[in-house]
Amino acid sequence: MIATQLLVNAAALGAAYALVAVGFVLVLNATTAVNFAHGESVVAGGFAAVALANLLPPDIAVPGLILLPGVLAVSALLGLAIGALAYLPIRNRPPVSVFVTTIAVGIIIANGLNAGFGAAPRSAPSLIGTGGFEFLGATISRQSLAIIATATLLIAGLAGLLQRTQLGRQFRACAQDPEMARALGIRLTRITLMAFALGTAFAGVAGLLLAHQFFVSASDGSVLILKAYIAVVIGGWGSLRGAAAGALLIAVFEVGIAAIASQPVAEGALYIAVLLVLFVRPQGLFGEPQQVRA
Amino acid sequence: MNLRNHIPAAAVGIVLVVYATAFASSYDQRLLALSGVYVILVLGYQFIFGHAGALSLAQGAFFGAGAYATGILATRWGLGFLATFPLSIAFAALLAALVAAPVLRLRTHYFALATLALAQLLLLVAVNWEGFTGGANGLSGVPPISILGWQAPRGLPLVTAVWVVAGIAILLARQQMNPVRRAAFAVARDTPLAAPAFGIDAGLLRFRAFILSAGFGGAAGALFVHTNRVVSPETLGFGVMVTCLTMTVVGGRSRIAGALIGALLLTHMPEWLRGLESYYLVAMGALLLAMVLFAPDGLASLLPAPKSRSGPAVIPEPAVFAEAFAGPPATLDASGLHKSFGGIRALGDLSLTLASGEIAGVIGPNGAGKTTLANALTGIAPPDAGTVHFAGRAISGLAPHDIARAGLTRTFQTPQLPPALDVQAIVATARNHAGSQSEAPAVVDALAFCGLADMASVPAGTLPHGLRRRVEICRAIVSRPSVLVLDEPAAGLTPEEQAEIGTLCRALSDAGMAILLIDHNVGFLRPIADRLVCMAEGRILADGSPDTVLTDPAVRAAYFGMDA
Repeated sequence: MIATQLLVNAAALGAAYALVAVGFVLVLNATTAVNFAHGESVVAGGFAAVALANLLPPDIAVPGLILLPGVLAVSALLGLAIGALAYLPIRNRPPVSVFVTTIAVGIIIANGLNAGFGAAPRSAPSLIGTGGFEFLGATISRQSLAIIATATLLIAGLAGLLQRTQLGRQFRACAQDPEMARALGIRLTRITLMAFALGTAFAGVAGLLLAHQFFVSASDGSVLILKAYIAVVIGGWGSLRGAAAGALLIAVFEVGIAAIASQPVAEGALYIAVLLVLFVRPQGLFGEPQQVRA
Repeated sequence: MNLRNHIPAAAVGIVLVVYATAFASSYDQRLLALSGVYVILVLGYQFIFGHAGALSLAQGAFFGAGAYATGILATRWGLGFLATFPLSIAFAALLAALVAAPVLRLRTHYFALATLALAQLLLLVAVNWEGFTGGANGLSGVPPISILGWQAPRGLPLVTAVWVVAGIAILLARQQMNPVRRAAFAVARDTPLAAPAFGIDAGLLRFRAFILSAGFGGAAGALFVHTNRVVSPETLGFGVMVTCLTMTVVGGRSRIAGALIGALLLTHMPEWLRGLESYYLVAMGALLLAMVLFAPDGLASLLPAPKSRSGPAVIPEPAVFAEAFAGPPATLDASGLHKSFGGIRALGDLSLTLASGEIAGVIGPNGAGKTTLANALTGIAPPDAGTVHFAGRAISGLAPHDIARAGLTRTFQTPQLPPALDVQAIVATARNHAGSQSEAPAVVDALAFCGLADMASVPAGTLPHGLRRRVEICRAIVSRPSVLVLDEPAAGLTPEEQAEIGTLCRALSDAGMAILLIDHNVGFLRPIADRLVCMAEGRILADGSPDTVLTDPAVRAAYFGMDA
């Protein structure tokens, strides 16, 4: 059945987008600033997988799964660097400064990758091998299922961390009121850097997951950050659950429209939809209108 | 205008002309032409990014829109430069005007998102509408600039043509950003909540900046196409936006010199960094990062600052009378005001009148709704229900800047002053909307009246707290309001400073101004207030002469925590 097929495709794409969006919100909450290098972090994760794959022996059944910890580690380090370079030195300046510094970091990453790997799209190894099986008349690829499983596990793990552990409580405290959290003895800088590391690690894994089927090229960052951004706007600024839901919605929208029209039409329709959403509800789809005190 | 101020600029201009005509190779001349194109692009971006303070990611899109307009009109319809150039500018500006209404009211991050989505949308159209735009390959065969038979082929003629347009753009930018409007932008950007309370229409300013930025972007894109003779999707790509942003941040966000420095420097830098080859763009990113971290105001900030005024503030005549600042007598009449935040009722069926020449002190415990009342009266946070009549006309529902212009102004609990702007410029922004540009005498008088004459050229950020409060009051009275709402003007002041504020208020009310004075300090209010209003839980508990109100058992219970 074509509908089942599309649904699985959308779920896999949405799961990868959800990782990107959740990572984006993690940093957003810790800093109240937008990390514009987040799209490039996804791309960097994809290329990390491409590079690390060269080190693997050729006949491994689950190459992507073996690469996963490596990609996580590389991306986390990248996240630490982004936080230390582009956020910490200017955390007391207006948020637009962080926009610009993270755009700068994005330029550095994208063009560094372009110079190192070339402009041609590259493909990363599959997570648990290729092929698929028949289910309700549709062919379900192993990669799609693996993407859904990996993203679900990681996001559930993060939710557990935030809800059940002392560290998670500190994260949430910093997101709500950084000054107060600091006054209560929480190490704000450490939490902020951890948010960058964790958020970028999520982006990197998404890069690994996406780079098998959809390939990865150095210039993909701006489209990916746009998707994460849109997911967060749809889901409500700052809400992790909302970001994941928004990402799934985007994927369903994209896959659905691409199936009846074409990929460019789907992408264009998404941008128009977002502009319309912002037109009707400037505070986002599920966001509360904010009161600012003079 | 002092000619001496223009000597450095003229010297740089002459050096560039000599270089372009005598030394530059044809490749160098191409770079000079490109620099001129980017000067126009960056000048445009300064309006929205520098002055309005909004991170637009659509400046590259407006550039591309101008580029495609010229490319398509010139190659498909064979139109000449005199037609394609204005049409390209108009197309970009029209595009901006179409999206301005929904986009400009978005807050920082949503504004950036919306402009980025817009840019990506245009890029998608350009790449995929092959029959019209030439798709990924674009359109080639764009003719050179030609005006009434004169053509500008590559080389010196092109450089000249581009820089003539750049020169016009510079003059236009200067004219648009005169010192008073510059200051108004600073107030709207740095203190967005307060700006409308002093009559500044921040929405109009942003709209103006957005349209100007698009028009300049369109002009730059059009000239770029005449320089390259082809138009391709690259003109709409994120790369143009990044280049523009980098030039603006490196040069400077709000000064014309910044646009020149940024554009000239970054157009020529690839030549100087040739050794880096494909890593050149990495170096550009690193430069952008380093600039924000170490020189956030750009290279232009290293140049001496331009004079913000024609001369030093005149020390005025000793006797400036309060009469000069009291507007025509008017009554303020609020009835049945309601305001809730979520489930919390901040104002419940509140009615209040204020006659001209009267000082009404408003007291009440924290959370009584005093500031909400001020916000409701001045339109900063309009009431959910109820009406406000002012000078016989209903003002509830008007935009806050219109209420301010009608003669009802206010100050804020925390002074809302742009730190980098000097005192005189801040006060002038509140006066400018009232009439012509040359309101300097009224501004100087107001400064003198508030005891700020010596402080005219001091940046607000360096003033002590007590003086900031006086600047706020000065800004609120310079437009000759009929009613003045002061939100805790004496908080945090020494007894001497409080007495000075009290004297000021008394003088203004004797001149006919009605003053609503919110404060906690009964000792400050009692000697100057004609009337006291005590609020609690969004209602008026007591309203009458100070002695009656202060001895009212309900007031004593609610406010002083005494048994009735």
